[in-house]
Amino acid sequence: MSTLEVVRPPLPKKPFNPTPVWLSGWLVVMWLIIVDLDLSFETLLYGAQDIVEYFSRYSTPDFADLSRYVELLMQTLATALWGSALAFIVAVLLSPLAARNLTPNATVYRIARETLNFMRAMPDLLLALIFVAALGLGPLPGALALGIHTAGFLGKFFSESLERVDAGVYEAVSATGASRLQVVMYAGWPSILREALGYTLYIFDRNVRMAAVLGLVGAGGIGLALHDTLRMFNYNESSALIIVILITILIIDYLSTWLRGKLN
Amino acid sequence: MSKIIIKDVAKRYANGFEALKGVSTEIPAGSFTVILGPSGAGKSTLLRTINGLETPTSGSVQIGEQTVTHASLREVRSQVGMVFQHFNLVDRLSVMTNVLTGRLSHRSWLGSLLYLFQRCDMDIAHDALIRVGLTDKAWNRADRLSGGQQQRVGIARALAQQPRVILADEPVASLDPVTSEEIMGLLREICTRDGITVVVNLHQVELAKRFADRVIGLNEGVVVYNGAASGLDRATLSRIYNRNGDQVDEQLETMLAYA
Amino acid sequence: MSSSRLCWPTPNGLPALGPSVILAACVLLLVISASAVELDLVRLFTAIPRMFEFASHLLVMPDWEYLPTLGVNMLQTIEMTFLATSIALVISLPLGVMAAANASPHPAVFHATRNLLTLMRALPELVWALVFVSAVGLGPLPGVMALSFVTVGFMGKFFAESIEVVDARQIEGVAAHGASWLQLRTFGIFPQVFPDFVGTVMYILDHNLRAAAILGLVGAGGIGYDLVMAMRMFDYDRLLPIALSIYVVVTVLDRLSDRFRRRLI
Repeated sequence: MSTLEVVRPPLPKKPFNPTPVWLSGWLVVMWLIIVDLDLSFETLLYGAQDIVEYFSRYSTPDFADLSRYVELLMQTLATALWGSALAFIVAVLLSPLAARNLTPNATVYRIARETLNFMRAMPDLLLALIFVAALGLGPLPGALALGIHTAGFLGKFFSESLERVDAGVYEAVSATGASRLQVVMYAGWPSILREALGYTLYIFDRNVRMAAVLGLVGAGGIGLALHDTLRMFNYNESSALIIVILITILIIDYLSTWLRGKLN
Repeated sequence: MSKIIIKDVAKRYANGFEALKGVSTEIPAGSFTVILGPSGAGKSTLLRTINGLETPTSGSVQIGEQTVTHASLREVRSQVGMVFQHFNLVDRLSVMTNVLTGRLSHRSWLGSLLYLFQRCDMDIAHDALIRVGLTDKAWNRADRLSGGQQQRVGIARALAQQPRVILADEPVASLDPVTSEEIMGLLREICTRDGITVVVNLHQVELAKRFADRVIGLNEGVVVYNGAASGLDRATLSRIYNRNGDQVDEQLETMLAYA
Repeated sequence: MSSSRLCWPTPNGLPALGPSVILAACVLLLVISASAVELDLVRLFTAIPRMFEFASHLLVMPDWEYLPTLGVNMLQTIEMTFLATSIALVISLPLGVMAAANASPHPAVFHATRNLLTLMRALPELVWALVFVSAVGLGPLPGVMALSFVTVGFMGKFFAESIEVVDARQIEGVAAHGASWLQLRTFGIFPQVFPDFVGTVMYILDHNLRAAAILGLVGAGGIGYDLVMAMRMFDYDRLLPIALSIYVVVTVLDRLSDRFRRRLI
């Protein structure tokens, strides 16, 4: 029996796999961050027992002030609603200008895009601080802050959706002699309406969470109440407040997911 | 009324590609003209210079008394209807609303913002739907229709403009042969009955022979034939469809197959 | 002649039912809540001159001596973001698998994990930050804890959703060759969902940077503390630099993550 020597044609050179490099780089960076932030794992571990004890203080919620909580909650929801409405209107007006295939010229496009980016970049809390300084305390500055900040997000979502519409559809409508506004109204918005409403619901959901928190800077709502009770180490009332906030957010979350499911 | 005069139109793209090289022709009012040619010959480009969807690098296009310029674009387009290969309807809107978009150039900005139309617009749209035989689908969503039906909506949209000219860019390329016949027949009937000038891009020579009055043969951006449809003999077709100067006559069928 | 009676493009000429109902409902809700939000147009208009006045206060020379501290605190904010997101990533990978209907080891595990994730993301980061500050004291530790915690809720949910839409046939292919439970998820599921995961992580990084920027408000580290202090003490010469640095960092991260995402996918 003859043995054949197997001669294999050589494989191409294996391309360099950067994954181990990235992975180790990432681990190094994480370690450096932990050192720089002076985070002590020991504190965390030793504190674990303390933390368990700490969380047990929340175990007996005190709902005595429930009616006031509910009132504050309504204020929070109202803030989120008006903020989202403002965001929607601003986004509807700006997003066609920030869509490459609908904008009249490059300058308008740049300005619209950068305006939306700027609105997105400014944290709503910062805007809330500014508006509270100008308007005084209460939910209105919170609604304005939420509206402007989330207009940036919504505007970006809308303009990206508008850009994804088939160019032919836009062409067909403008080939009838329609103006740019008409093209946006008849070929743009109808094509993305479902997505747009889905995004808006998502933003409303987000705004409810943020509205709960804006109270911390005096922009009304339930956040302020929580801040006060925690500051005074009133764990039972804090616990009640957290539960109220939690249930509300869960309900809104559930509703908005259900609505978005129906949209698709 | 609706004579199209194309004078020395050239189109050169930024990457240097010359789609059209000095095309001059006159398309008589009320005629049914087909533009034939292999892929990349410039048929689409030529058609689109007529309603300003492409701007020629040099030369001009005139429709009736009006020259196609940047300023006159909307006015020209309101008089020129266009039918597309992929129909280009707004999927989520009803058939009726799609047809009504043909009336947009006559509506005020405020009215159209609110999706309001005048009664007469509705009547014109209704008439257009009767013409293409789709009244029973008027309130269906546009994307729920078959390909042939969608193209008829596209034609109805063009008709709703009450145009002087209708352009059709490969209107039957996405349709089966039977439906293609129907659509071409519809376009021909519109031309004959309403006196609208119809210009169609096709790559099916047979359809051109059957429906066209006149044929413009385009090859590599140059007009190589401009005459009656009856003049489409083997020699002419060779001229239109040959690539890179191939002169071999027997390979005509192959050339047509690859056109 | 032509009639100029106006109508909508519907069979009866009236606006379509669906959109009208939605619009009416929204308007109704807004009207009802107008008093709760203390909507007051007079108040708004009288505030406009104050806004301009405030804006003019901002346009002063920045507090040069403060800038190094600003840099350090911004860096702290960025570090908190990356650390918290990384920790959340490690935890969310297994949790995401457990919360995906087609990859979870057991239906009970699936439901439990799903509910756990929902609870984890229900409360905003700032609320948890408040709680953790109260538990472990001030500094970046409670901030990182709060951020990681909420991020796991979101990341786990997004990961699970991506896993649930994988192409079952590709998984079948791997399974047909006798892959183990873990191998199925590593070689069958993970490669498919990788682009989605990258997108999710980028999106969450973006969100977390903004969230980290405000955690300092309650003493949980980062630039938020500087911001609030500057407002309260009317240190206008610090406000604009702080706001600008937040804007710049957020924008740079935004552009970088766009590019990174394109390179990876």
